[in-house]
Amino acid sequence: MSLDRLIKKCIDQDTQAQSQLYKQYASKLFSLCLKYSKNYAEAEDNLHDAFITVFSKINQYNNKGSFEGWLKRIAINTSLQRYREDVGVYDIINEGNIEDVSVDIDNKNVSITFLLEIIQDLPDRYRLVFNLYVLDGYSHVEISELINISTGTSKSNLARARLILRNKIEDYNASSNSQSSQ
Amino acid sequence: MNTKKNIDRLFQEKFKDFEAAPSDAVWGRINESLPKKKKKRRVVALWWQIGGVAAVLALLLTVGVSVFNADYNSSNDLPIVNTEDSSQKNSDKNNTPITSPEDKQNEISNLKTYPLELVNSYKSEESLGDNKKEETPQKNNSSKQLTSTNTSSHTNAIVNTSYKKDKTTTPQKRYNLTTIKDKDKPTNVVGNTKTNNSVLENSKNDTLAADAELKSAIKKTIEDNKTAVVDNKKSNNTDTETSDTKSADTKNTDGTDINVTVIEDLKKQSIESAITENIKNINEKENKESRWSIKPNVAPVYFSSLGQGSSIDDQFNENSKSSDINMSYGIASTYAISKKLKIRAGVNHLNLNQKTSDVFAFTSGEFAARGALSHMGNINTRDGLHNVALMSSSMFNRSSTPEIFNTKITGDIEQRFGFIEVPLELEYRILDKKFGINVIGGFSTFFLNANEVYADVNGTSTLIGKANNINSTSFSANFGLGLDYTLSKQWNINLEPQFKYQLNTFNNTSGDFRPFIVGVYIGLNFKF
Repeated sequence: MSLDRLIKKCIDQDTQAQSQLYKQYASKLFSLCLKYSKNYAEAEDNLHDAFITVFSKINQYNNKGSFEGWLKRIAINTSLQRYREDVGVYDIINEGNIEDVSVDIDNKNVSITFLLEIIQDLPDRYRLVFNLYVLDGYSHVEISELINISTGTSKSNLARARLILRNKIEDYNASSNSQSSQ
Repeated sequence: MNTKKNIDRLFQEKFKDFEAAPSDAVWGRINESLPKKKKKRRVVALWWQIGGVAAVLALLLTVGVSVFNADYNSSNDLPIVNTEDSSQKNSDKNNTPITSPEDKQNEISNLKTYPLELVNSYKSEESLGDNKKEETPQKNNSSKQLTSTNTSSHTNAIVNTSYKKDKTTTPQKRYNLTTIKDKDKPTNVVGNTKTNNSVLENSKNDTLAADAELKSAIKKTIEDNKTAVVDNKKSNNTDTETSDTKSADTKNTDGTDINVTVIEDLKKQSIESAITENIKNINEKENKESRWSIKPNVAPVYFSSLGQGSSIDDQFNENSKSSDINMSYGIASTYAISKKLKIRAGVNHLNLNQKTSDVFAFTSGEFAARGALSHMGNINTRDGLHNVALMSSSMFNRSSTPEIFNTKITGDIEQRFGFIEVPLELEYRILDKKFGINVIGGFSTFFLNANEVYADVNGTSTLIGKANNINSTSFSANFGLGLDYTLSKQWNINLEPQFKYQLNTFNNTSGDFRPFIVGVYIGLNFKF
């Protein structure tokens, strides 16, 4: 079944088509949700909410731009929604830009699970900013609009996120190195 | 192996192809919270149903038409004979069992009872008891309502007996009798869920019961008179009063005669009134449901084609075409299958036309100069008009054609055709208020009854011939929206814009000729 036809059937609320659409895109969107969420359970909740939105608004998809992009935006928006409602009071330290944060890593040693874990462990807004900027290609201006912060805050949050992540990876490498050397 | 790596790049690379399958439970939850498309599905299903019904009807009709054409006479005669037979049977059923046999029975029973009375007048009470016994099986057979009517007929009988005591109040009493019946009958009918026949049977029972009461009443009066005669005979012993008593005697006997005849009259009248009551009741019952309605309608109709094409000849494909607004008129009857769904059929008379502009018409002389091009696609020219040719002006390049064509004024071809249309449609009610909205779908069968082609040049139109590619029987798929406004319980006015897509009206068309009819049907609907 072509994508157009699948979308059309989903607009008609055909259960089979909805199931097929879900199967086709669930893992892609779930990976997004995982990144933007604190934990697995929250990611599942967000995925659920995202698909509900997708199916209820699929008639508004206007064939401009890729369908996958549209789905991803919905998934990201749904994940952000949770934090828009109560944007906690974060450290308003403006440390300026810390560019080009690099880290010593053994590429093969670092697993995706570990990276996901440390992303999820980031404070909520650091996580969002890091994901949006680094992994999903949003600009600071877009981010500032999306989660209602200033671009300065966005930049500083990003820098903080990077630092935290680097430290965690270094710690991890150190521990694994020491383990391997013992 | 450690490489200094930009942290962003590390994450980007790792997450580029990252996919993670969620647990199956997620889909379960999503599926549960998705709105089930009940409403939409129902509408879709309904359209499927309507479509299915329409298809089946279309199939039946086509089969019917072919059979009809193949065996015209037999199929034409049979239904008429049948209907007559059945109607006669019905009328027989309605009339004979109620009137004649009962009358005969009454007469017989009357004849039997008279001698009995004369011999033993006191048996009348027993016979009254017998009458009651006769009623009991009826009670057993029918429901509670019937017993109530029986009791009511008892009261009627009481009225009857009292009527005999003073003759002066007869008309009033008789009215009483009927009015009491009036009150009792409707409840009986309402409560009775059986068919009209059963209603008739009940009323038959009523009249039977009433007859029985009447008989007993007759016996009573005769009995009274008898005792009076006996008294008179006793008083005959005194000489002085003989003449008076004799006259009283004769008066009494006269009185009994009058009584009997009046009672017989009354009996007939009561039977007749019972019959009229029944008819009224049946009518009332139908009124309550009012499933049937009839609707005369008129409509401005417009004929056009969806694509660029011509039904006449391919040279006219590009020519501009127009149609006048014509009138269609007809009548339709509707039957309500349910509160929301109605089926309707009708007959409409429909005239259509289509003008193809920018056409040259040649008569013989001019045409000879042009050369032989007499073959005109789908028109059979009429006799004595062999030499007319029609050509689209687009066929000519004005600069390169002889002068005669440039000076010639282009005209129109006007095709006029008419149909008897038999629509068969389903109406589905969306809004059921004083102002109602219906969706209409169905199909029409068209029987061609007019077919002419005219050439209009310089304001004069000449009959050229007729089109040979219009099917004598054709069909259309109909869609419409019905708006109606209720005027009273029985009347409403409605307005129905309809689109009728003609399926096989024309053969051998050229270009993209897909004809349709648009009409706004205005009707006055009468429920009965």
